[in-house]
Amino acid sequence: MRLSSGAILAAVLCGWSFAQPALTPAERQLNVDSFEQVWKTVRDKHWDPKLNGVDWQAVHDELRPKIEAAASMQEAREVMSDMLHRLKQTHFGIVPGEAYRELNQKDDNGKSNPSDGDPGLDVRLVDGHALVTFVTPDSPAAAKGVKLGWEILRIDGKELAPGMEKVRAALGSAMLAELIETRSVIERMEGPIDKTVEVEFLDGNDRKVTLTLGRTGPRGTETVFGSLPPLHFWVDTHKLQPDIGYVHFNMFFEPEAVEAAMKKIMAECRDCKGFIIDLRGNPGGVGAMAMGLAGWFTRQSGLILGTMYLRSASIKFAVFPRPNPFDGPLAILVDGCSASTSEIFAGGMQDLKRAHVFGAHTAAAALPSMFTKLPNGDGFQYAVANYISEGGKPLEGTGVTPDREVKLTRHQLLEGQDPVLDAAVSWIHGQ
Amino acid sequence: MSRYYVGRNIAIGAAMVLSLSLARAADDLPKADTILDKYVEVTGGKAAYEKHHNEIAKGSFEMAAMGIKGSLTSYRVEPDKSYTETDLGAMGKVREGSDGKVFWQLSAMMGPHLREGSEKAQAQLAGTFNAELRWRDLFKDVKTVGVEKVDGKDCYSVQLTPAEGSPITQCYDKESGLMVKQSMTLQSPMGEQTVNSFATDYRKEGDVLMPHKLKSSVAGQEITITFDSFTFDTDIPADTFAVPDEIKALVKK
Repeated sequence: MRLSSGAILAAVLCGWSFAQPALTPAERQLNVDSFEQVWKTVRDKHWDPKLNGVDWQAVHDELRPKIEAAASMQEAREVMSDMLHRLKQTHFGIVPGEAYRELNQKDDNGKSNPSDGDPGLDVRLVDGHALVTFVTPDSPAAAKGVKLGWEILRIDGKELAPGMEKVRAALGSAMLAELIETRSVIERMEGPIDKTVEVEFLDGNDRKVTLTLGRTGPRGTETVFGSLPPLHFWVDTHKLQPDIGYVHFNMFFEPEAVEAAMKKIMAECRDCKGFIIDLRGNPGGVGAMAMGLAGWFTRQSGLILGTMYLRSASIKFAVFPRPNPFDGPLAILVDGCSASTSEIFAGGMQDLKRAHVFGAHTAAAALPSMFTKLPNGDGFQYAVANYISEGGKPLEGTGVTPDREVKLTRHQLLEGQDPVLDAAVSWIHGQ
Repeated sequence: MSRYYVGRNIAIGAAMVLSLSLARAADDLPKADTILDKYVEVTGGKAAYEKHHNEIAKGSFEMAAMGIKGSLTSYRVEPDKSYTETDLGAMGKVREGSDGKVFWQLSAMMGPHLREGSEKAQAQLAGTFNAELRWRDLFKDVKTVGVEKVDGKDCYSVQLTPAEGSPITQCYDKESGLMVKQSMTLQSPMGEQTVNSFATDYRKEGDVLMPHKLKSSVAGQEITITFDSFTFDTDIPADTFAVPDEIKALVKK
């Protein structure tokens, strides 16, 4: 039940931008209270009592006058974020309270009525270029004929490259930078579903094409988990070829939906030659689900994916084998946007030599964390533990190196190929 | 005391360590037998407990710091059958139980788990109906180890050592005789976890005085279980305690 949520990591780091009305004295006090809660929580809950070597009291004393003087929510959030950034670790962040607004807009079925959406594109950075890697069927982007491999040059008239360079320079860490840069591109296309976004592409013939794209609500079903903002979850399982089972889900949430999907594909694929778990773009979620997923692929009791170290305790991520698990070859696909629980699962299965990992190095953002609401209505994510994979390696800052690194190319994407998936399929057939 | 364990397996995490101040020498203290028997007496007496043969408890589960809430229903039948279902909303259901022989836990999140060894022994203890009356059978040794302050009030700290597994420490309010705190080390394949639980809101259910709120600290998280209702001696279908197929598949022939 420990939340190892990288699900909102990118959002936390990239931030939202909202109109900034002046604050009342009561709101300013709530920001001060929130500042104190954030500071105390880190002091008391961080797994390392030395707080990564940071003089936490000095940080408090330096920033307290700034939070008292903060004249807008944005300023207040910047002060609290500044405090958290001093730790130089992932999974610490502030999520603006506006992100929760969907919770208060329920329709007759009790679901929120999202006012924001996207054109239906997924993107990855390839050699610094933002390439389309997935077009959601029936989405506005699909309707306008956007194809895999097209490069995004401008969004709403703003050139991408300078902004991405700025992010890269600010972050320094190449691995985490990829996750954040990718998210920043995707988020720039997101917005109100009743408004369009203008995107300039470089198409398959190297011609610049500008399309006005509508937006549609997020893919999947809404899920609300504790104090996290509403999320949209989907899972897809099918036989990839007559003899390979394929499992792909966007986040480690909704364990019952994942279990139902796994039961279905296991029944259909009992005699399959291999399985592929596609965690590309999966930012994580509930850490315990890594154990549950691993149980479908081993009949050996007592296996451990890794260990989570809190300040005063440690928890082993034990694998509980499912009845009639799949014993054949297992391939796990990852990329620079696979984070947190995805890394716990992929890294642990790799360490146990139960899976072969394909793709690109993961985000290296794998600190088990909690998520709570602050007095000012913002969300606060804070890491409470370090995580060491079974092979003895901390995943935070190092991530998972694939057994077989496979680089995406624009040419392959334009050809409709998925080289990472192809490599996994080929490996399974070679076993 | 068995009701006190209802949430033991729901909690996953590390422990918040509370200091235990042992203020008095052991020989000044009342005997553990006296304290444990007094608990039965002040909560209704042996006859009140023995009147009941099964129980359904309903309540809620909350991890306030994370905004996670759920509901739970627990069924127990004498001598040792139990089944608890905790619905954690988006995290799914956690089911755990026993038919008196096989002890298990099952969730979509983590899969099926057959409890064995010292973990099974702990579950067996937790699943014993009216364990309050049976402490002489369930523990090989009980002793009063000191006086502790809980919520500003003195309580006698009693260490109970089962035949298998680590000792449990329970603290009984000096004045009222009610158990107010329990400390134990949970055993599981995920490692040992220290759990400190505090029992409050004692109210009568039938003729028995029972705690309605349990606040536990484990792995730096606080978990609160609040019982809304207890129903005794109703028809509980026998298949409530049936071992699920996923667990049966794990039981060695």
